[in-house]
Amino acid sequence: MIGFPVRHEMSGSCITIGTPVKNTVTGQSGTTTQISQPLQIKNMGYHGIYLPEANLLLDGSGVDAPTFITHAHADHVPRNRHQPVFASPATAALMRARGHSGPIKEIPFGETTSLPGSGTRESGDKRSGDNKSGHVRVTLFPAGHILGSAMVFVETDQGSLLYTGDCRVPPSPASEGFQLPDAQVDYLIIEATFALPIYKWQPHETLFDQIRDFATDSLSDGDTPILLCYNLGKAQEVMHALASCDPPVSVQIHGGGEKLCRVYEDFGVDLGRWEPYNRETLPGKVLIAPSSTLESPMIRDLRTRRIAYVSGWASLEVRASQLLADALIPLSDHLDFFELLDVCRTLKPRHTWLTHSPDPTVALHYLHQEGFSCSSLETERADDG
Amino acid sequence: MTDKAHSPSFARLCETLTDVMHTRSSTRKISLFAGYLKGLEDDRDVSLAVQFTAEGAFSTLSGRRAAVGHRTVALTAAKFCGIDYDVVFRPCRTATGSASETIEKLMQNLPEAAARREPAWLGLDDLADGFERLAAASGREQKQQVLTGLWERMTAREIRFMIRMLSQGSLRIGFEVRSILPAIALAFGVDAEQVRRVHMLTGEIGKTALLARAGELHSARFRMFQPVAFMLASPMETGPVGGAETGDGDGGSAGAGAEGDSGAGAGNVGGSGVDPRAYVAEEKFDGMRTQAHIGPDSGQVSGQVSDPDPGPDSGQVSGQVSVRLFSRDLNDVTVSFPDVAGQLREAMAILPSKKSRPPDVSVSAQPGTLQSGKQNSVTLQSGLQNLVTRQPGTIEAVLDGELCVLEDGRIQPFQRLQKRMGVKKPGRKLLAEHPVRFIAYDLLFLNGEEVIDLPLHKRRRLLEEFCAQTGLPCSRQHEIASAADIERLFRQALEHGNEGLMLKRRDSTYEYGQRNKSWLKVKQPGGSLDTVIMYAHAGSGRRGGTYSDFTLGIRVDEDERYEEQFIPIGKAYGGYTDEELKKLNRRIKELAVERFGPTLSLRPGIVVEVEFDDIQVNRRTKAGYTLRLPRFRSIRWDLSPADTDTLADVERLYRKRAERSGDADPSNSPVLFHKAGTL
Repeated sequence: MIGFPVRHEMSGSCITIGTPVKNTVTGQSGTTTQISQPLQIKNMGYHGIYLPEANLLLDGSGVDAPTFITHAHADHVPRNRHQPVFASPATAALMRARGHSGPIKEIPFGETTSLPGSGTRESGDKRSGDNKSGHVRVTLFPAGHILGSAMVFVETDQGSLLYTGDCRVPPSPASEGFQLPDAQVDYLIIEATFALPIYKWQPHETLFDQIRDFATDSLSDGDTPILLCYNLGKAQEVMHALASCDPPVSVQIHGGGEKLCRVYEDFGVDLGRWEPYNRETLPGKVLIAPSSTLESPMIRDLRTRRIAYVSGWASLEVRASQLLADALIPLSDHLDFFELLDVCRTLKPRHTWLTHSPDPTVALHYLHQEGFSCSSLETERADDG
Repeated sequence: MTDKAHSPSFARLCETLTDVMHTRSSTRKISLFAGYLKGLEDDRDVSLAVQFTAEGAFSTLSGRRAAVGHRTVALTAAKFCGIDYDVVFRPCRTATGSASETIEKLMQNLPEAAARREPAWLGLDDLADGFERLAAASGREQKQQVLTGLWERMTAREIRFMIRMLSQGSLRIGFEVRSILPAIALAFGVDAEQVRRVHMLTGEIGKTALLARAGELHSARFRMFQPVAFMLASPMETGPVGGAETGDGDGGSAGAGAEGDSGAGAGNVGGSGVDPRAYVAEEKFDGMRTQAHIGPDSGQVSGQVSDPDPGPDSGQVSGQVSVRLFSRDLNDVTVSFPDVAGQLREAMAILPSKKSRPPDVSVSAQPGTLQSGKQNSVTLQSGLQNLVTRQPGTIEAVLDGELCVLEDGRIQPFQRLQKRMGVKKPGRKLLAEHPVRFIAYDLLFLNGEEVIDLPLHKRRRLLEEFCAQTGLPCSRQHEIASAADIERLFRQALEHGNEGLMLKRRDSTYEYGQRNKSWLKVKQPGGSLDTVIMYAHAGSGRRGGTYSDFTLGIRVDEDERYEEQFIPIGKAYGGYTDEELKKLNRRIKELAVERFGPTLSLRPGIVVEVEFDDIQVNRRTKAGYTLRLPRFRSIRWDLSPADTDTLADVERLYRKRAERSGDADPSNSPVLFHKAGTL
């Protein structure tokens, strides 16, 4: 167990749910009365989300508190590479592959960890006192976003909270799947990256077929297919889809993707035939690279190339002309609008916060209409598509 | 949709257009659409498919529109989908940057919307019928009913394209008329150049497709009162001699670009590889390019109303001579310029009385500046010979020229013409205050002859004769032998207050709809100012989702008249690369202070060097001035807001430019007036 001294000296806006908490969804008054005190959430912006009573930090850094990392994308891991954190085994491996050098306590999915919490609700006192009350139970559930991605389920005296991190259901086939806790979720913090009704994803298999057809058609025309996608998660999912091409294709992956692919394979994901990018041997193979390389000589100098942009944002046609892509494949790592509403309907939380949304107003409007108590938790994060 | 793949359904057209949209190669786009056209069996379907794709719900020539506003479409769609317009629809449209794409996605995704629709695989003629009903419906409520009735029987994709067609013109799928014409040629195995010509002559792409399909392209004839695409000029290329931008202006970075060397353009001729002797020169008027059709009012011109007010003094020819004026985008602007229509009708009325006299050339012409046409020694082609003997009611002529406010035989500043532009039915007072006249500089058709195919020098002789006979003013043309001549004429043009020079190749035909080197414009270099971005506006269409339009501010921090630091001086977009736009957008996000819908208010931080054609006084703006045709020259990452130009710089530039419009010496007037008192 890693030790965490407790301090309460951070800045950030504090959201407190009013007391008594109204359960506007189910109307079960019993649940309400069991919660003696409101649960506080501090939105730390780029430094994650802090729960003062539980003394937990989610996807953040800069606070001396047990820190849970939902997944290994750069906008969720601590900026301090030496920070001790908790994470799922695959996330731990991916973080190490990306250079995290601090201790990572691996928590397998479904296994509950007990933590001391703040020890008291009065901040500043009794830091190291007994923890008879105020202890906190934390469980990770697979989030379906990328390999290792987890939702953090926190049970406290003030109620239970599920923080989804980035999530996706139906889950990515190159992940551990998606699973919600059976227990009552009182509070939900859910990502809403694509929370507009213009976003509705096609079935995975349809999109995987598009990926495979794009690759095989380009190759048979003598062009080098280039799939532009984020190098952690989307890249491996695309490779996993290409692994079932008939006839088989070989893939090259650009730069930092190689180490990440090895982690995926260590965790049993089939990535097919692949190798690191090599200019000399690329012809006849598929190239996977992040869209930031579009202007690089690697892509620019390829005379016969065909470019596909693989991202949830590809569902907007205007992106095609902006990126000069030949094909747009709207495969997303995130929930679409309708999937988001379904998760809320399933969990029926007392209160829901939306995060990571360019415009949360529409989803909030729909949730309000269905009688949910909800609001926006403004966290500004980079968009990783 | 596949079950109907072989019927000429609208859905099938939309599938083809989707494929075209998703294809980047223009050759491939052409062959996709040609393949589709080839598969159509019915003439009516061919004509509609081509028209929907190229022109929209109605043919351009018909001048008709469905007359459904964007807001009506959006409100109807929101209602159809059962969503709130402000709360749900608008955020979605902001995200996509396109109303039609938003509506397509909502129609597809929202279960309520999907449940209301049952695709009926409408035919192309069903759509044509639907567009008719939309046009006939009056008021938002009726139009909503028609739209809803159609949408209930359409797929989301069909609805998207249908909405795009309502706004007439390009579908914005990277497939414009210039590609559709070769697709027609490819589909029906005919010559693409001929298809282009017939399209120009008929003005109807649907009809062009049918003639191509029937192998009857040769039968197409020019028709009066149907505009012909204008011949366009290329800018004179900047040669090694030019580019003297460090300039000799008298101070301030603002001055350098604007007044540094007014002759820079002309001086470049030597360096641009242009042989001056192949060209003639005319002064470039700062007016409104216009095509005038003059001919018998046979009443056979479809879709056009007769002149609302032929004027009291044209009584004897009223009902016989009809005039139509077309703007550069081929819109009929006749109703805006009754004085010009009157001028042209009156000119026709003069004809009979002059028929026995020899052509009388210009009161102000200097000997030698005119071409040999003045002795009327040109051998006219058959059909043109009887020009003067024709009755006024039977003359047919199409002229290319410029509308200008003309007073005392002098062209007045463009701003005065602007007061008339866009005013549909100008009142007596406005007409008297700013009298507009037509100045001719080219002749396209005359009494059934396609003069456009003659070389310029022959057209010019006919034009001069025509103007001499009718008393219409025309541009003065100058021989040039050297770059020095161009330089001299250019300076003279500026002294006259004109924009610069037009160089026209002697042996060129009238290249309708093309921008080639046959006409070159030598323009007074515009000015430039260093400004700061004050607001960023989210673009739509290709630029949707990014901030691509910008309101630029001029510095007034030391100006006692203003409390602000910067005030808007103009709005500009374009002129940056995609890469720069990305960088710009990153910086914009850092500088954003406030958001109003698609607009971001920014802290001063990005300096843009903006280029413009002219400065105009505009009292409705805070600055009191507006820039004409502002565009980005460069983003000055090296400059800070404190380095930008001030309003005082703008005022000084304006005065400098205004001073140059000195009085013209009538002996070298850029306009030839053939008969005193005509104006």
